[in-house]
Parts: sequence; C-alpha cells; structure tokens
Amino acid sequence: MKTIEVSWRNLWRNPTRTNVTIAAVALCISILIIFQSMIIGLIDKAVFTTTNLVVGEVQIHAESYLDDRSLYKYLKNTKKIKSIAKKNNIGLVERSYGYGLISSGTKSAGTQFWGVEPELELKYFDFAKHIDQGGFLNNSSSNKIVLGNKLALSLAAEVGSELVVFVQGADGSLGNELFYVSGILKNVADNIDRSAAIILKDDFNILFSADNMIHEIALNSKGNFTAEEIQNLISAEIKNVEIDTWKQLMPTISLMTEKMSVFMRVLFSSIFTIAAGLGVMNTMIMSTYDRMREFGIIRAIGGTPFRIIKQVSLEAIILTFIASIIGTILGLSVALYFQKFGFDVSGKGNLSFGGVVMDPIWKGSVSVGIVILPLILMFLVSVFSSLYPASIAARINPVEAIHYKK
Amino acid sequence: MNSNQEIVSLKNVVKNYGSGQVAIKALQDIDLKIYKGDFSVMMGPSGCGKSTLLNIIGGLDRVTSGSVIFNGKDFNLLTNKELSLIRRNEIGFVFQNYNLLPVLTAYENAEYVLMLQNIPISQRKEKVMNLFKEMDLEGLENRLPRELSGGQQQRVAIARAVVSNPLLVLADEITANVDSKTAQSLLTLMEKLNKTNNTTFLFSTHDPIVKNFARKVILLKDGLIDKEEQASKNI
Repeated sequence: MKTIEVSWRNLWRNPTRTNVTIAAVALCISILIIFQSMIIGLIDKAVFTTTNLVVGEVQIHAESYLDDRSLYKYLKNTKKIKSIAKKNNIGLVERSYGYGLISSGTKSAGTQFWGVEPELELKYFDFAKHIDQGGFLNNSSSNKIVLGNKLALSLAAEVGSELVVFVQGADGSLGNELFYVSGILKNVADNIDRSAAIILKDDFNILFSADNMIHEIALNSKGNFTAEEIQNLISAEIKNVEIDTWKQLMPTISLMTEKMSVFMRVLFSSIFTIAAGLGVMNTMIMSTYDRMREFGIIRAIGGTPFRIIKQVSLEAIILTFIASIIGTILGLSVALYFQKFGFDVSGKGNLSFGGVVMDPIWKGSVSVGIVILPLILMFLVSVFSSLYPASIAARINPVEAIHYKK
Repeated sequence: MNSNQEIVSLKNVVKNYGSGQVAIKALQDIDLKIYKGDFSVMMGPSGCGKSTLLNIIGGLDRVTSGSVIFNGKDFNLLTNKELSLIRRNEIGFVFQNYNLLPVLTAYENAEYVLMLQNIPISQRKEKVMNLFKEMDLEGLENRLPRELSGGQQQRVAIARAVVSNPLLVLADEITANVDSKTAQSLLTLMEKLNKTNNTTFLFSTHDPIVKNFARKVILLKDGLIDKEEQASKNI
C-alpha cells in the first residue's frame, strides 16, 4: 500500500466533486494554452508583418541619415553588403529616397519618392503586393508611379492619372517630370499611406540627377536569422554605416509586442491560475472536513502531521495531474486548430498593430512554452492550495477528531 | 500473567476542561498503575471520566496537573511528536466505532501501523497474515470495511491495534456496537492474545460482559477512582 494509492482512492470517494474540480481546472489550463497561443500568434504576426512588409529585419543607412534624411547621405559601397547577404541567402533590396512636390490638377502634396527595383521588392517584401487599385511597377514601368492610398486621395488621383513632379536634383537643378499612376496601395502603414510615391530606381536617378544614390538597404531572411544575427553578420565586416534591427527602427512596436505579451500572459495566467487554485482548495477543504475523523485516527495511531500533509497534498497533485492531461489535450487541440485555420477578424475592420496593417486572419502559435507555463503554474498552485486544508488536517486534535460529526 | 513490570503509573492526575468558574473537573487526583500482562477494565457511569483517563494514558490528551509515566517516560516532558511516536510504537488503540480507514481493505487497515513504523513489506505481510489466521479473519483481507459486519470490523480494528506487539492496548467501549455473542467472541480473542502474547489490555466500558473477562476492575465515579479490585475470575 503506497501513499499515492491511498490518495487515489480517497479522490474517488466523491466522484462528482472530483470530476467537477478536474473539469474546472482542465478548462482553466486549456483556456490558458489557447489564450497564450493566440497572444503569441498575434505578436508573431505583428513582428512578421512589420519585418516583411517593408522594413525588413535589418536596415543599413549612411551614418546619421535617419536623423537628417538628406539626399546626399547615401551608402557609398554596397557591394560588400550584397556579397554577405548573398552568401547567407538573405534577401536584400536597395532603396533611394528623395523629397519633392507632386501635383494632380489643382491639388498638390509634399511627397517622399522611393526609387525601387520592383522584382526584388516583390520577392522579399509584401508592401508591393498590397495593391488596392491598378498594379505595382515592373522593370518596364518607366514614368509610372505607385501612390500611398491617402496620398492618392489627397491628390484625387486614380489609376492612369497624370501627375506632375517637382524635385530638386542632386546637382542643384530643378527636376520635373510627368508620371502616370500605375497603382494605389492598400493601407500599409501610416507614413507610406500619406506620403509614399514609388517609382523605378532608374526614373529616380534621372529625376534627382543622382548617380545610383542608395539611401537604404533592407535585409530580410524571412525568419531564417534573427535580426540581431543579421546585424552581427554585417557589422563584423562593414564599418562606418548605421546597422539597425527592426526593433531599433521601430521601438514602439518592439516595446508594445514585448510588454503586451508579458502583460497579457501575466494577467490571464494569474486570473486562471487563481481560479483553478481556489477550486482545488475548495475541494480539498471539503474533503478534509469530510474525513476529519479519519485524520484523527491516523494521528491517534501514530501518524505524523507530515504524513497527513503529504497525503492531502498528493491528492491535490493527482487531481491537478489528471486535469493537466485533459486540459493540455483540449487546449492544444483548439490551439492547433487556430494555428492552422486562424480566426477571421476582417468583419471588425482592419487589424492593425502599431500602425502596421495586418492580415485579418488571426492565427495562433503553438510551442512547448505555451503548455509548460500553465502546467508549472497549476502544479505550484495545487501544492500551495492544498497546504491550507492539509494544515487543518495535520493540526487536528485526535481526541476531538475521533468524535467529530459531519 | 501479571509480571509486576510497571507500564503505566499515574500520580495525582487532574484533568479539567475549560477554566475559571466554568471549568469541568473530568479527573481528580487519580493514582493508578498498570502492569505488563494486565487485563483490566475501567467502569463507571457516563461522564465519570473513563474515556478521558484512557486518552491520557494513551498520550492523546494531556493532564492539567499530575504525572503520567509510560514505560519510564514522563508524558509531561514529551513533545507532541514524541507522544505521536510512542502511540505509533508502543500503544494500540481500539475504538468504539471501529474507526477503520474506509478506503483501505481489511489487510491494509491492519498493515497501516506497520507501514507507519517503516517495517519492510515482506515482514508486514507475514505479521498481518499470521494475525489474520489467528483471529479468524482469513479470506477477508481484500474486503473494504463497508463490506464487513460490525464484528468483523472490530476484529480488524483489534488486529490493527495488536499487530505491532504494543506494550499496551487501550480499548474504548469496543462492545458498544456489537451484539452480545460477538462481544463474547471479541473478548475471548483478546483474552487469548493477552495470554499467548502477554499483551496488556485496558478497557473502558459500561458492558458487564467485559467485566466478566477482566482480572482487575477499576471503578470510576465523578472523576475519582472509587474502587480498584481484583476480579473474582482471576482469584
């Protein structure tokens, strides 16, 4: 006869009570697993969207370019960077930026011009696929332009509209040109929606009288490397440039993802853990008072308080163990379903995070961590919540307990 | 059977419940000695202090004043844990309502004290099975208490009390819930254990049948020992 066997039999003396408690604890565990999976899924999605949309995992700029976005602060030698990226199979795009004025009919707006290579943007980033009207550029899209949707709205521009562009070139000359709207982007990110005017890199060079001025290199391994790994790879060989991870470039989003993840997980873990703990404690207290006389007998025939604490705690642990198995199976099944099929929130409007518009299918993310945390919490809470009833049982006076009436 | 080896010695034992004007004097100035091999019975009307005295001798309760010396150890000087160890190793208890542990089988109930004493499984099995044979409990090993009659349950309770060969077995109203025939057989069994193993028994009872088996009768009245006499059976 082992203590564990005795505890098991004691648990099933009142099957209804035990089953209800197991169901409640299992439900708490499964909700915790599902909730964590959805939160991590949301965070992963936000990070993935942020990095894949346009920013990339790492960006490289000339020193102080981000403080003063001058046309003249460009990267002098990009060959070495390209070679590192190619060697490590990391996607790379070069972008040129310049500022100017754009007008359509009687309307005009200040604009940031992007000189891009369409094929590479389409290959490594997603913003070029977020087209609301028309189409994105291709290599033969000379004098074609793609506008952010809010910019298009303020210019009253449509696909095919004629736009007049005024800029100051790198050589100080005034550049002006006619462009035709090729496409209008969907909501992508606030700064792009309001001011992005995307043209071919060749058109940019002509318009700004620039000799292949590269202001930004964006690198995207699509998750094969962490941002920090890419940063270390580049910084080991390239000096006198600014190499920033997406977290450094977008500290608000980085902070939000981290804080939200921690806050939500702590908050919900606390709520469900406390609820489960109270359930276990309630069951063990009821069970203890039901068996007061038995504990008195055990004490009378020489059982120590520790033996009683061990027995009551073991009952709580077994109960939680069963609930953990059921809760994990249930929670993981639902979490895996949401990981595969997701949860469509498109009916609630755009799903955006820190100004970055995300895919409206909210998917979960299943990992070992989402199971381990609830299980550890439930184990600890079951031990702690059994200590109070166990201490009641252990401290009883055997003479009173033997004559205890329910 | 009495060997004059003193097992229990009570001197000027007083037990009050409550304090001040509402204090109830359960025992007053009790002097008592129990010797190895005794087969004694405490009798008296309800509320005379029999159970209280039994609990004090068994280390389940503490005295208000006076001393209890058990096998040379002064209960007043012992901690609760030390008292617990004495109950485990040197005293057996049989209670009025059998008080078997309901989730344990008859065998496991009898084995429980040996388990508390950390005796190896093989020795436990040997001791319990021998005792069950001796006590006519063979075949009932795997039955739960609810599957046993009152008499069978009390036999298992007696087995639990004597299985570790304690110095003293305390039995509180053990015949109260069984018919006279069963009571007779239980007492015959305990008398046999007393004679064969020299186990010391102290009973608390109202039941005259128990008195018939006793070799010493202690009569209690209002918390005092009214009379202590050798029973005629033993003379």
